[in-house]
Amino acid sequence: MTTTEPHAAGDIRDQLAGALAGLGSLRLEHDGVTTIGIPAGALERATQTAAGTPGVRLADMFAADGEVTVLRLVWAYEADEPGYIVTETEIDGDQYPPLSDIAPAAFVEECEIYEQFGIRPADGKPLNRVMLPPYDGAKLPTLGHRPAQPPAEVHAPHVVGGQAFEFPFGPVRQVGVESLYYGLVTSGEEVVDLYMFTWHKHRGVEWRLRGKTMHDAIFLAERAEGLSAVAVGWAFAAAAEAAAGVTPLPAAARTRAVALELERLYNHAAATAALCQATGLSVGQAAAEIALERLLRVNAAAFGHRYLFGVIEPGGVSRAPDAEVLRRELPGAYDELRRTADALLSTNSFVDRLEACGILTSEQARRLGLVGPVARATGLATDARLATAGPGAPYTGHSVNVVTAVGGDVFARFQVMLGEAAESARLITELLDRGTAAECSLVAPRAGTGLGWAESSRGEALAWVELDEDGRIARARLRPGSARNWRGFDDACRSQNVFTDIPIIEASFWLTVAGMAR
Amino acid sequence: MPLWFARGLRRGVVTTKYPARSDPSAASLPTPPAFRPGQLTVRAVDRMIAECPGTALSRVADTLVFDVGSCTACGRCARVAPQAVTPSGEFELAATARSALIKTIPIRGEQR
Amino acid sequence: MKPGPDETATAEELRKRIAVQFGRSLHIRTLDTGSCAVCEQEIRLLTAPHYDLHRLGFFFTPAPRHADLLLVTGPMVRAFEVAARKTYEAMPGPKVVVATGACALGGVYQSDPFVYGEVDAVLPVDVWIPGCPPSPLALLQGLGVAVGRLAEKTPGLTFVADGDGDAT
Repeated sequence: MTTTEPHAAGDIRDQLAGALAGLGSLRLEHDGVTTIGIPAGALERATQTAAGTPGVRLADMFAADGEVTVLRLVWAYEADEPGYIVTETEIDGDQYPPLSDIAPAAFVEECEIYEQFGIRPADGKPLNRVMLPPYDGAKLPTLGHRPAQPPAEVHAPHVVGGQAFEFPFGPVRQVGVESLYYGLVTSGEEVVDLYMFTWHKHRGVEWRLRGKTMHDAIFLAERAEGLSAVAVGWAFAAAAEAAAGVTPLPAAARTRAVALELERLYNHAAATAALCQATGLSVGQAAAEIALERLLRVNAAAFGHRYLFGVIEPGGVSRAPDAEVLRRELPGAYDELRRTADALLSTNSFVDRLEACGILTSEQARRLGLVGPVARATGLATDARLATAGPGAPYTGHSVNVVTAVGGDVFARFQVMLGEAAESARLITELLDRGTAAECSLVAPRAGTGLGWAESSRGEALAWVELDEDGRIARARLRPGSARNWRGFDDACRSQNVFTDIPIIEASFWLTVAGMAR
Repeated sequence: MPLWFARGLRRGVVTTKYPARSDPSAASLPTPPAFRPGQLTVRAVDRMIAECPGTALSRVADTLVFDVGSCTACGRCARVAPQAVTPSGEFELAATARSALIKTIPIRGEQR
Repeated sequence: MKPGPDETATAEELRKRIAVQFGRSLHIRTLDTGSCAVCEQEIRLLTAPHYDLHRLGFFFTPAPRHADLLLVTGPMVRAFEVAARKTYEAMPGPKVVVATGACALGGVYQSDPFVYGEVDAVLPVDVWIPGCPPSPLALLQGLGVAVGRLAEKTPGLTFVADGDGDAT
């Protein structure tokens, strides 16, 4: 495990923004986000340019309907000052250049956009089902025009020596876990392929947010992926703040960061417990659960809710932490986790089980645009807390150590989580020392668009909103970390892994189905 | 596994005695609101209803209808009408009839 | 919801049977109909050392065939209905359905093309546990009520505070 400095790679932003602006037109530069209009004819070239620039990854792709469908790609660049470039392209008709050939990280989004807006890449290749169920899918409202034909079902072609068969697993699975459907392709024990469907949990959150004020919307947005309520809520609130030209007061921003680090801590404790459960180490599981419960009680004592719901508010925060309680109770709770982790790292049978399990290479992580501990465990030093413009402001001056590891296996992901937990405990103390407050700046109703982000425990959470003149949502895009990272799960489960590895790999990713199926 | 055994012994018992005895950690749980009829006015109630992000609050003439089952204890109604709302402190809310979770509270405050 | 053949007994008789049969040992199957994942985390903590569900004679089981009680979270996404019904029908009677969390009780999502909005629209709910999420303590109380071991408090609660701020 190493802690590394972020990319110091010259002026990636200027280079890329300049190249893209040359293909289209620069529209806006504000607080770490550069928006560039790209005509449809130049979109393929623009995507090639961005995908080919080292230190740049595709963070999201989504569409919005107005007079014409607008396709937006969000590119994250790692540099001394990381930030985002958003390209906007009007799509006339129902096709656009095939982007996932250039940027495989775009494939799931191409499928989603087809379901919601009826526009598709021009190469004619089959698209997967993402959010619409195979039956009654036509009855569900979409965000734009319905696709002319429903998506085909297509999965990675699999070749194995001997027989292979597919069997469906789920959506009702083990006790106490979310519903999730996998199709497992196996020749016996070995996982040849694994594909997932999450449409049975799709609640249509983005559809439901339209027309709402931000104040009403944040309640639903933080429940899109409740285990990342602070991260998703913060990204969403920050998007609205960028659209309305509002900056939360520094003490309120620090409150957000305290809540986010507490969220990271309890999630990493929960992932540790899940890893122990998946490996059959009941004693370790119990120890990790003790740490988790103590951390949740710290959340309740400090912020009034075990899962930190209701803290983030557009413009700031609605509650400040009880700093005295937090200072008193957090060290003991974190220590519980640290001692459990130390004991686990000394338990050879546990460590052996995690090593070489569920390997992802940094090339796979880069190609698929993965984020969070999953990406950092392969050596990629990507962390949204480093983007200190805009929502990242409270992290300025705290030099967040980005924890990475090598190997990209379950053990590496576990090590990254433990390193991050230590970092979170330190950050909380520092942030409290600088002062927190329950302050909320007024977000006056005004038309605009904005991008927001926050580093959830499972990776970068992004949100984008378009507000109308009354300050109501015309389009809300929520992209929790899970929505980025599930696509890496198939790769991690394939090849040398067997069935019993799947729950271990799932625990090491520590994503949620809700974050994908929002 | 002597390491784990010794840790466990040193750790002691953390298990709650609930339901036989109350658990002190319940004191910091968020709970649904309780309302002060003397401080409720139709206008304040209508403000709370507009503020509630769910469906927990509604009004029929001079009665506030509170659906505890729908309440998420988000605290927003208390923020817009702090004089009329206080935490109930109740977390033992299970019911064998959905109707048992619908409460009516008279609106007795004076209109300004 | 139409009662099935196992539920032709009156509710009172059913409760007595449940108290006798389930009062000492109960097997619980969980069902997620579209939650945000937090209710599941609280449910997982029921077997954690702080709460230790097993000391009360309650156990989780992955097999609906072995389950006595179905603990349901989420607002019943319509695309999930088939899976929900199959899980319920796979459980032999007598059985109890407990809807847990504000989503399952209709408080977060209202009926629309994506969701029913509440579990009771598809499955016959016997016990409702409010909360967002219901904490493990609230879940323990709800399970106790479901097997007739604990008395319900809600019928007696008024959520009226007197002038001094004390709630009843």
